Amino acid sequence: MGVKIQALEYYLPTNKITNEMLQDRFPDYDFTKFESKVGIKSRYWANSEETALDLAEQACLKLFQVIDKTQVEYIVYCTQSPEYILPTTACLLQERLGLSRSVGAFDFNLGCSGYVYGLSLAKGLIESGQVSSVLLVTAETYSKYLNVEDRSNRAIFGDAASATFLVKSDQDGLRQFAFGSDGSGAEKLIIKNGGTKSSCVTNPEIRVYGSENQYTDNDLYMNGPEIFNFTTENIPDFTKKILEINKMELSDPDYFVFHQANSFMLDFLRKRIKIEKDKFYVNMSDSGNTVSNTIPIALKRLMEGLGNVESPLTVVIVGFGVGLSWAGGIIEIDNSLI
Amino acid sequence: MNTEKFLELLKEELELESDLQTSTNLKELDEWDSMVAMLLIGLVSNEFDVNLTGDDINSITTVQSLMEKIGAERFE
Repeated sequence: MGVKIQALEYYLPTNKITNEMLQDRFPDYDFTKFESKVGIKSRYWANSEETALDLAEQACLKLFQVIDKTQVEYIVYCTQSPEYILPTTACLLQERLGLSRSVGAFDFNLGCSGYVYGLSLAKGLIESGQVSSVLLVTAETYSKYLNVEDRSNRAIFGDAASATFLVKSDQDGLRQFAFGSDGSGAEKLIIKNGGTKSSCVTNPEIRVYGSENQYTDNDLYMNGPEIFNFTTENIPDFTKKILEINKMELSDPDYFVFHQANSFMLDFLRKRIKIEKDKFYVNMSDSGNTVSNTIPIALKRLMEGLGNVESPLTVVIVGFGVGLSWAGGIIEIDNSLI
Repeated sequence: MNTEKFLELLKEELELESDLQTSTNLKELDEWDSMVAMLLIGLVSNEFDVNLTGDDINSITTVQSLMEKIGAERFE
């Protein structure tokens, strides 16, 4: 028995922020260089009344145009933008979507590695016979965590949600997964205040990083060069490990879809691992780094770009980032994604 | 690597406006930011097989200090 992706949809907020708009806001910075190196032209931000749960609901409603919502037996919800500290956002989503009260539902807190973790959890739930279908949702609004003067991160991060429906199948659509964690890198990408350790404060001290980027401990902080180092030092060997546990060679998979963090980093990784350029999918210029949403968005765009395929495609997926946390695996995608 | 060539490579890969000297303080360049730091880490890794850490990036000032971090013996 196996598991396959039956359908996948994503939703971007309507509020599109282009580089030209950022250029007007930050006139001293040249966004043409950012665009050519980091590879992002526009991103979408939720408006002030809109939350990640709202985006998740929209992604699920798109999904329910192609699948019957009464088939959903379990919600696995990945977010670092929960509606509340408690209750669990996945329970709120059950009510929003009008799903049966017999569904299981829980949240898990991961960032860029989250979608891969979600697939692996869904595989476990289905292959162990506990349920025969899982609705995997990723939803993030990092834009709400960014200081208004944090130019670098405002240029990188966008908001989005995705909904993936996984079902029991004869097809082995989710193969073997591997994981990694390193809490020693926690402070490289962090929002310090607002949890139980330290509350959000009024009039927090303003800090500066890079050239002129400002943030406070109430906001998201990312040490970009350190995250780049972590990724380039760990992900090449980790990708080889994923191939090994799936008994594949580098030339075997049809595509590689990595977390769409920034195109310079992705190109660096591709060359290090020696992946053929036409097998390495990069498509982030329109929506930027949407955290746990980049991989499902890329998978959908990949299939939409290819159109009908004769047989399922084998794809290596790798997510990495905040935690530090990373995860990867091999999946199959087919025309059901279109 | 020839020092002149290294200066040109830095200017090209980091897309800097002005010419560099070994005495140029990288942190005082208009272009210096976390993205340029990332580009620098990538360049040094590719060209010298040396991984600059975040601490290295913090401590670097002039091009000369960068060259010392990479290894002065690697330049002529």
